[in-house]
Amino acid sequence: MTRSSEPTGHGTGSAAGTDSPGATNGTDGTDSISCEGVGVTLSGSSGALDVLGGVDISVARGEFVSILGTSGSGKTTLLRVLGGLLPATTGTVRCHGSVVTGPADGVVTVFQDYVHSLLPWRTVRRNVGLGIEAGCDRAERDERVDEALIMVGLRQRADEYPWRLSGGMQQRVQIARALATRPRVLLMDEPFGALDAMTKASLQDQLQQVQELTATTVVFVTHDVEEAVYLSDRVLVLDGSPAAIGLALDIPLERPRHQVTTKESADYLRLRHRVYEALGHDIGERARLGEHDHA
Amino acid sequence: MPEASAVASRVPPSKALRGRINAVGAAVFVLGLGVWELAVRTGLLDFAYLPPPSDVVVGLGELIETGQLQGALAHTLFVALSGWALAGLLGVAAGSVLGLVRPVWRYSMASLEALRALPIVAFVPVAVLLYGFSARMEIVVACYAALWPILLNTISGMRTEQRLIEVGAVLRLSRPAVLWKIRLPAATAQIVVGLRLGLSISLVLTLVAEMVGNPAGLGFLLVDKAEALQPAQMFAGVFVVGVAGIVLNALLMVAARLAFRGQLNAAGEGG
Repeated sequence: MTRSSEPTGHGTGSAAGTDSPGATNGTDGTDSISCEGVGVTLSGSSGALDVLGGVDISVARGEFVSILGTSGSGKTTLLRVLGGLLPATTGTVRCHGSVVTGPADGVVTVFQDYVHSLLPWRTVRRNVGLGIEAGCDRAERDERVDEALIMVGLRQRADEYPWRLSGGMQQRVQIARALATRPRVLLMDEPFGALDAMTKASLQDQLQQVQELTATTVVFVTHDVEEAVYLSDRVLVLDGSPAAIGLALDIPLERPRHQVTTKESADYLRLRHRVYEALGHDIGERARLGEHDHA
Repeated sequence: MPEASAVASRVPPSKALRGRINAVGAAVFVLGLGVWELAVRTGLLDFAYLPPPSDVVVGLGELIETGQLQGALAHTLFVALSGWALAGLLGVAAGSVLGLVRPVWRYSMASLEALRALPIVAFVPVAVLLYGFSARMEIVVACYAALWPILLNTISGMRTEQRLIEVGAVLRLSRPAVLWKIRLPAATAQIVVGLRLGLSISLVLTLVAEMVGNPAGLGFLLVDKAEALQPAQMFAGVFVVGVAGIVLNALLMVAARLAFRGQLNAAGEGG
């Protein structure tokens, strides 16, 4: 826990410092969402458990950052802290300069379990409108809902109930619901983790297009290395116990990326190799479980 | 209630109705009546006061002719429905508070459990003592009886899935909006179950209250006809009570499906 007692006053810019491993690569100099010295201790049945310790992250506006880690490494916990759903035990989270104490304005989390995240009694259209009903009049709401549904390609299914759609479509409804609020930051918790490989690939490309169109900042939690490298501007690997950022790797692959050609490029393969290494998959050896000294 | 869906069922009503009628089941029922008729007529069933179904039909005709049935039915339905509606308002409101506000639940649950363990019928003489032989006494009894299933189902329905509450938080819904748009609709299917149970028990306790307390309505009609040794009319009364229960439940389900189509479909109870 290196920076647990930093002042919590409002401030902009990358306070995390350029020497820390999770520091921004500064695409345009202003942070969208950041955290400093975040540690989380959860009380479980077997006593207190330090899940995260001294995590520094700084995400620039419009940046796509993936957080990778092995199962149980605290990726989801970190995302919940960023989203204001879980208070950090130590450290601070800032979003556009203000300290986060609950779900922040303009920050929307997309959950993995789309089945439990959609309201089954509302049609697709009314699910997507849920977050903007209070602030918009009917005409504007309809327009924004349609816009979001078109972005995810579900305009034709607007009047269906979500449980009549396939898993991939349901997840697109949840993404559309987030997009309808016109978020500045999209936090995604293994959004494609429960989907089959083909659906996953097509949703990855759709997300890529949406992000290009809206310039939304995305923090994307996944356990899928290929997915992280394919989508991101930067990949962060959580490592250790309590977990901290073990590797921060810029992904300077050309955009737009393509499922076949990008994944065949030497750069892609080299980056993927480094991420696998950081996750503890030593070459020529079967993956070991447990603690590792990271690269 | 929230989320009322104005969209009526897309299936034409006549077709929907035909799909619901169970021809085989109805045939068995008619056959049963036939066997009963035969058994009484042939002396196979030998009770002094067991009328065959044909006599019951005649008895029903007599009751209608004298206007006794209409008066009694109207009284009983009015009482049972008033008590139930009151219980619905109280039960859903109190159940929401008990389900949502932890301290209230902690302070009151022991008393509620103790009261619930008391058989409701034991409450009838108490109500008679407090309110006398009046329709008001009946309504109090019916309301008390119907309150329990409605209250308990509402409390348990209010235990909304944590993820849905987080969705509300993430989309920055206000507290009233979370209650109105997420918690109550999520509880609707279970509240409807409570309302159905409450309606049938409200009818039962209304009849009991009429039998031992207020001399009015169908409950009193049954006792009165038995004491007057008019079994055909008494059985006609029993038949009317049974039909009233079935019709009330069916009406409630139709109303619930119209009002909360989405919620009930989602819970697998849609039509």
